[in-house]
Amino acid sequence: MTARKSGSRLETEIERCRSESQWDKIPELVRQLSAKLISNDDLGELLLGECKLQTYLKENPIKQGASPRGPRPKLVEVRKHLTAALDRGNLKADYLQEASLLMAKLCYVEGEYRDALGHYSRVSLEDMQLGGAPVYRLSMIAEAYATKGLCLEKVPAASPALSNKNTGSPSSNRSITDREQEIITCYEKSGDIALLYLQEAEKALSAGIQNRSPKPGPTAQDLELGYFLETGLQRAHVIHFKNGNLTRGVGRFREILRAVENRTTQSLRMTIARQLAEILLRGMCEQSYWSPLEDPPTVSPLDDPTRQGHTLSKNYSLSRRPRVYSGENLFCPQENTEEALLLLLISESMANRDAVLSRIPEHNNDRIISLQSASVVYDLLTIALGRRGQYEMLSECLERAMKFAFEEFHLWYQLALSLMAAGKSARAVKVLKECIRLKPDDPTIPLLAVKLCIGPLHWLDEGECFANMVIDMGEKAAEFRAKGFLAIGLVYSLKATDASLRSTQEEYQRKALGAFQRAQSLSPTDHLAAFYLALQLAVSRQIPEALGYVRQALQLQGDDVHSLHLLALLLSAQKHYHDALNIIEMALSEYPENFNLLYTKVKLESMCRGPEEALLSCKHMLQIWKSFYNLTNPSDSGRGSSLLDRAIADRRQLNAMTLPDFSDPETVSGSSSSYSGSEPVSPTSPSTISTLSSPLSSPSSPLFILQPPPLPPTKNPTFLPPGPPHPPLPHPAPTRTRSHTFCNHITLRQLSNCGLQDANILGFSSMFSVCSVHATSIAASRVEQALSEVASSLQSSAPKHGPLHPWMTLAQIWLHAAEVYTGMSKPAEASACTQEASNLFPTSHNVLYMRGQIAELRGNIEEAKRWYEEALSINPTHVKTMQRLGLILHQLQRYSLSEKVLRDAVQVNSTAHDVWNSLGEVLQAQGNAAAATECFLTALELEASSPILPFTIIPRAL
Amino acid sequence: MLAMDQGVVEEWLSEFKTLPDNAVSNYAASLKDKAALVPALYKVIRENYSDLLEPVCHQLFEFYRSGEPQLQRFTLQFLPELLWSLLSVSAARDPHTSGCIEALLLGIYNLEIVDKDGQSKVLSFTVPSLSKPSVYHEPSAIGSIALTEGALANHGLSRVVYSGPHLQRETFTAQNRFEVLTFLLLCYNAALSYMTAISLQSLCQLSSRVCICGYPRQQIRRYKGISTRLTVTSEFLVQLITGIHYALCNGEVEQGSKALDDVLYRAQLELFPEALLVGNAIKSSLHGAALKSNNKEGARSIQVEITPTSSRISRNAVTSLSIRGHRWKRHDAVDLGSPDELMDISEVDEGVWPGGVGPDMTPPTITISNSVTTLNLGAKAMKKCRLGGRSNKDKEAGALTTGRAASENAELSFKRLTLTSSQSVPKAGALTSLTRTASAVFSRSFEQVASGIVPPSSNHTASEVGRYSCSLQEDGLGYLSPVPNHTQRSPSISVHLGSDL
Repeated sequence: MTARKSGSRLETEIERCRSESQWDKIPELVRQLSAKLISNDDLGELLLGECKLQTYLKENPIKQGASPRGPRPKLVEVRKHLTAALDRGNLKADYLQEASLLMAKLCYVEGEYRDALGHYSRVSLEDMQLGGAPVYRLSMIAEAYATKGLCLEKVPAASPALSNKNTGSPSSNRSITDREQEIITCYEKSGDIALLYLQEAEKALSAGIQNRSPKPGPTAQDLELGYFLETGLQRAHVIHFKNGNLTRGVGRFREILRAVENRTTQSLRMTIARQLAEILLRGMCEQSYWSPLEDPPTVSPLDDPTRQGHTLSKNYSLSRRPRVYSGENLFCPQENTEEALLLLLISESMANRDAVLSRIPEHNNDRIISLQSASVVYDLLTIALGRRGQYEMLSECLERAMKFAFEEFHLWYQLALSLMAAGKSARAVKVLKECIRLKPDDPTIPLLAVKLCIGPLHWLDEGECFANMVIDMGEKAAEFRAKGFLAIGLVYSLKATDASLRSTQEEYQRKALGAFQRAQSLSPTDHLAAFYLALQLAVSRQIPEALGYVRQALQLQGDDVHSLHLLALLLSAQKHYHDALNIIEMALSEYPENFNLLYTKVKLESMCRGPEEALLSCKHMLQIWKSFYNLTNPSDSGRGSSLLDRAIADRRQLNAMTLPDFSDPETVSGSSSSYSGSEPVSPTSPSTISTLSSPLSSPSSPLFILQPPPLPPTKNPTFLPPGPPHPPLPHPAPTRTRSHTFCNHITLRQLSNCGLQDANILGFSSMFSVCSVHATSIAASRVEQALSEVASSLQSSAPKHGPLHPWMTLAQIWLHAAEVYTGMSKPAEASACTQEASNLFPTSHNVLYMRGQIAELRGNIEEAKRWYEEALSINPTHVKTMQRLGLILHQLQRYSLSEKVLRDAVQVNSTAHDVWNSLGEVLQAQGNAAAATECFLTALELEASSPILPFTIIPRAL
Repeated sequence: MLAMDQGVVEEWLSEFKTLPDNAVSNYAASLKDKAALVPALYKVIRENYSDLLEPVCHQLFEFYRSGEPQLQRFTLQFLPELLWSLLSVSAARDPHTSGCIEALLLGIYNLEIVDKDGQSKVLSFTVPSLSKPSVYHEPSAIGSIALTEGALANHGLSRVVYSGPHLQRETFTAQNRFEVLTFLLLCYNAALSYMTAISLQSLCQLSSRVCICGYPRQQIRRYKGISTRLTVTSEFLVQLITGIHYALCNGEVEQGSKALDDVLYRAQLELFPEALLVGNAIKSSLHGAALKSNNKEGARSIQVEITPTSSRISRNAVTSLSIRGHRWKRHDAVDLGSPDELMDISEVDEGVWPGGVGPDMTPPTITISNSVTTLNLGAKAMKKCRLGGRSNKDKEAGALTTGRAASENAELSFKRLTLTSSQSVPKAGALTSLTRTASAVFSRSFEQVASGIVPPSSNHTASEVGRYSCSLQEDGLGYLSPVPNHTQRSPSISVHLGSDL
């Protein structure tokens, strides 16, 4: 009894050692075994043969691609053992099969492929049981299939000695195909069983560790796939791809990846996941994609057309298959980018885990390996996410790559670019600095930094520094040298605009002019150089020269919107208003949605064609605004889809949205609110809008934003006035609910504006119906609060020019309308328009200024004064307000104070002719005739070259 | 144009018109066999003044409108050539010659931007997330390594729109031209696998020309067509690059890499980060891969090799995995820093993670992420701060000799933190309600912790000691986590700010 018991224990021990590949223990166990029972001698031979063969293979691993040849002296013993085990025939059937498989493997190792195939046909691999088999046998069967595949590949197909059941087909061509199919099936089976084996082995291992905690041996030791299993797992798809059969190759990849991972397969999975992602990104498109859970298309453009039809689907089944990921709500990709992304994220998490952190020289190679495998993954991630415009997510991914990035230029640069594309400008500049350090000769990098500094950040000093780097590169910078001068010119030009002292202003203007001239001479075919030169000349009121260069710019780039705009402004400075208007209209035919042009148009129209036309233009602008920002689908959520993202993405539009007096020195500080509003707060994401357009939503509760828009309370449906004709939507409204709520707003608005109804000339109410923001303004005023808080926290000396808020545009449109109404002496309408703007931005100095104007129009001098003072308290350098305030003080006969205000205004903007004029009047009233004359002369001179809107409304960006 | 080509084209023109409806799909399949047709059509498109251009464009549009995928692809294969034709003509300011090409392109665009019911089509895709199980993975196996702000903000799968809705367009204007063309390229790229080699070559040619015309490189490429510069947009270049990438990997190695170089050249000159990003990535990822050109290996050059499956990284190297269990003990506490320093780190995204980690306690383990506007000067310092707030309810009874400065410090910090978490009002709707409630819970939990600090020192039994240290890890996140306090006796708040890159 005891003997048998210990015998069975011995057997389990042997089984365990075989499963765990602990070959060094086998001889000792065999010795014990032969001491127990005589009949086990054959088994002993088998075990010894196996362990010697495996040990040999461990010491002399077969390399991929190398084919073994010739008998090895060390294997003689192995053959002796196995022959002995097979010949006597005393073994149980299972062991006999094992012995044959081992013999076949030995034959392969010695290069006797035919013999090996002979052994396999005798064993009939297909009949070997997978269910209930010990773990090691699974591995044996898997290896056997792989080896058989290898042998079949080696033995020529036409060979008559082939012991292949399928031979005998009439056409040799078909037999080749059949044979290929047989080889692939061998490998695929081998791979499947190998995966099963690895899963089972790990299960057994962990169970073993739990069961017998003492003497675990080398427990944590990973299983190692030998040459045969590696081949079995990978050779099938390699053949598919070699044959140009992408469909089946991809299918095979997916099968391997769907099997539940274990420690041993991790590295394989990482490689395969990456390779599959590569194929999805490089060789597939949306139309040729099929999802992992679908059947592949029968005819696919992915497969080599010359071999089309050979794409037999998988034609075998196994009694047991590896476990696959399963469960409810499994995410299954539906699109090639989705699948690629999923695979890459998985690879990334593994690559990240393997990041070698230590920097000691011994680990140099490891570090390079881990860096390489990670950077391939990150490059592919960049390709996938870049295609879909997901730069924000990309920048987060690349941020994770930073642990590899020490002194690695590529990773730093990619991070910088992704941050820039994601709109994280400040951080991008910092990363770009590191890139410059790593690669000081590349002019692109500092130029990118200048672009950010000039644009969203308005860090002019840094910008100057970066631009100088490019210039200092001299001839090395080649084509970028002109860009460098352009950049520095822009920096100086913006600095001149910001400068509060006249002398500094002039100094910067001079420098800017010089730089633009240099840029223009270096790159005479660049329209930007000519354009900015023209703009700078225009700002310095050298109108004829500016006209020359703007014409040149237009010759180089006929449809450049800024050049056309500048041309119009220059013509208006020469008082050719009709010509200017023609140019603007021409430009608008190419850029119908450019608000900047439209603002100028309104101004010119009220000048040439009367205010009625101008009002129509205002209405048109409101319609454009609505169609443009309403377009965003309210149902989409997530990144990349919010209005603001779109606004940021569409740079052209962005430039178009600059406020008319935006880059004017006098409004700079007030406009800083727009800057800060753009990045951190994005109140215009579609969901926000759709909810906020409902008056129900409580602004104090952010949770409401997440709810679907409740229907607005139509208090009295019968009350709906026929109202003004709803402007035809230029485009099918994204959702019905939305247009519904919108209509209701109009009615609400209508009801609340009863007092205005009588003032309904010139489509006034229809203007409101286009874009009243009554309800949205609740949200917007919250935004505005946030904005103005930020604005007040920033010093007015740190003005920011950034991407603009759509709401800013809307407010601006209303203010323009208000201005037109003031020009028509219609205070009621003007104040209604101002109210709309004020709902959006109650503390904007522009709004307050407009209120002051309206009060003046109504004859309330005191009230006007109060508004102006409020406006100045928000923006102390708003020249237009200063001028009006000066005039009012003049009227109130407070001459010296008036003089003081006006002198300040002149200091801020020395080209404002009406300020000079007012100053002259004040001086005259004080009896200072000489000084007054001088002022009047200056005003006269300036007026002769004054454009209808300041030249600086044209955005300056690299 | 040869008479023979003309004959082929004319035959093709008349053939389709007489086709009965039920024969369309057979006809579509048979188009492939007309070897002379496609080159002849290319010739028609290239020679702008050909009389055939208008009927050809019309017929191509009819093909597209038929809805038969094969016919649509037949039309799409000419897209690069048509785009070039349009762009070169518009650059030459000769608006009269390209009318029918414009009409064809606008026609395709207007068909593609709506779905079958005439509603605006919105192209969207799901951003996969490792925190959701998929057919390829289980979240538990991935570990917590991917728990970044972004991952949490997108906890679960989010659907993202990458194109659309688009407006119907009647005419090309300078403003909408590239918007339309970019969308058309997107359609072309969606059918890349079906495109012939000629079409891919034409795409590469288009890319090169668009990018170099009017620039010094034009001389190097010896292209003598128009020499005016063409305006481009970054998105357009990204779409071109996508197509070039496919061409590059599918036989057109030489032309493809030339085109990629040219696009990158232009992207550099224009300072387009998006195009540079994707272009650089493609260049770098193909760097090692030896691409085989068309002549030998068949059209597809995607190949894989058997790779060793064992990890190639030696076991004793310190990796992120091996370091994960390691506990860092740093005591070089730095004070919160002056406001000036804090202003330096003015980053837009603010994230707050309270949450405890520790098996022996039951701290509030809520993780939230918020991209919040911090409206306070100093609060900007809380950039991407990861706060592990938890009350340390263990035996450190005597640790409450509360320094006044420290408690003030705590209060100050507390104010900032609540500000950060409460200012989420004007936030985009990307957040889930989960994170919102979480933020509420967080401010509460933090309050508890903070009030644990503030009480007077007499209360020894209260024994609630909160110590927070915030240190900037190499991945740019700060961790604010309680540190068991044995040496120091007073609760202190320390924020380590590493160099912000």
